[in-house]
Amino acid sequence: MQDIFEEPVSALFSYNAKTHAIMPRKMVWKGREYIFTKLGYHHTVRIGRTLNHIFHVTDGVNDYRLRINTETLEVVLEDVYHDQLSA
Amino acid sequence: MISSQHNPARPSVMHIDLNSCFATVLQQAYIHLRGKPLVVSAYSTPKGFVLSPSIEAKKFGIKLGFNNAQARAVCPHVIVRTPDPNMVRDVHRKFRKIFDSYSPNVVPKSIDEAVIDFKYTKYENTDLTIVGQEVRHRMRREIGEWIKCSIGISTNRFLAKLAAGIHKPEGLDVIDAHNVRDVFSRMALTDFPGIARRFEVRLHENGIYTPIKFLETDEKFLQKKVFHSVNGNYWYMRMRGWEVDGVEFGRKTYGQQYALAEKTGNITLLSRYLMKLCEKMGRRARRAGYAARGISMSLSFTNGAHLHTGHLVGYQMYSTWDFYHESYRILHKALAKGLVVSQLGVSCFDLVTVRAVEEQLFEQNRTKKHLVSDALDKINDKYGEFVVTPATMMGMSKTILDRIAFGSVKEL
Repeated sequence: MQDIFEEPVSALFSYNAKTHAIMPRKMVWKGREYIFTKLGYHHTVRIGRTLNHIFHVTDGVNDYRLRINTETLEVVLEDVYHDQLSA
Repeated sequence: MISSQHNPARPSVMHIDLNSCFATVLQQAYIHLRGKPLVVSAYSTPKGFVLSPSIEAKKFGIKLGFNNAQARAVCPHVIVRTPDPNMVRDVHRKFRKIFDSYSPNVVPKSIDEAVIDFKYTKYENTDLTIVGQEVRHRMRREIGEWIKCSIGISTNRFLAKLAAGIHKPEGLDVIDAHNVRDVFSRMALTDFPGIARRFEVRLHENGIYTPIKFLETDEKFLQKKVFHSVNGNYWYMRMRGWEVDGVEFGRKTYGQQYALAEKTGNITLLSRYLMKLCEKMGRRARRAGYAARGISMSLSFTNGAHLHTGHLVGYQMYSTWDFYHESYRILHKALAKGLVVSQLGVSCFDLVTVRAVEEQLFEQNRTKKHLVSDALDKINDKYGEFVVTPATMMGMSKTILDRIAFGSVKEL
């Protein structure tokens, strides 16, 4: 089941200079900390002229979609996918 | 005559087809969707049309063209999701980048398939099955480990595509002079790309019931009796591995269509949908540097009737308002009979480059409208689609969503 949030969150990222891979490692949302274990997909989207990076990550329990606005550097949690059967 | 024999050349054409593209891409991103029956549908409502069943959903018999209710009937726990066009476009760009590193001659056939021609490249005399495995490996490494593709190799595009369809998912097959008869003997006519029911009937009427019989049929018979055109010669050559499909056609039209969630014959409501379709179509045409001299509309009605009509308008349409004004006249006339519309489509044709438009604009003193249109496009380019819209489109941000069309990829 997918829940849409569009909520700003605090996040920590890692960057590998050899592979140029960037990945969200940790997020604090509603006072709770989430540690990401795997990156599913990373891509970019332009909203007008503003480049946004989209990260699909998992903490092993749920999947999360995070967006970074490269102009404001705001990190937004767009949606969470729960591992349960759809209605 | 050379075309009577199978092309003896070493296969140099590779067709690569992403398996269950939209669903696989979602499974790549959302790890918890992996290994589960999933359908990506145009809409999540029960009547939403299934665009892409996952490999796991296909095992339950779910096919392209089912609606969500039918998919749930055969697999009650199927997960329904709507597409993420931006992510699919990104995957397309990434696989295109991989293919471009092998050959300058790469032709995307749709959002999820492409053809690589290795002729005149350093791979020309290499075993392409090894190159195919390398391409697949790179797609997994550079795009994502869940990405799956079928690969077909042959001497022309037709047989390469046919080969890519032999084993799904993740097949890698070659069709050449040695095995073409064997491959054909295990297929039906409708397994051939380009042979749908209508062509099958035509072949049956001429005593051709199997691909082998099709292959063995005389070229002149195909031309004069079956196809009544040069298409008969093309099929004769195509099945023998000679390239007859190597011509790429430029864009001739721009169009948008929308299947109405709530069918209506209300002109006020339909005109709002029409405005949004015209805005999307106009933006794409203008971005590519085109105006158009022709407008056409296609309308499907709830009584099963269908109308497709169009005409040249006598000037070069450039702004969204131009497209809307001309198509509205067609819509208004079509609705005079009191029919209820289920699907609405608009397209423009007879494209001309903007330079030609500018010359005409001065002639007709239409410069102001042109400049306003360009200014609105610039605002939307800067701040995002539909930031500034005609008032008719107010409140329509969640209607007529971004979608990827079936067929060729001429813009991304």
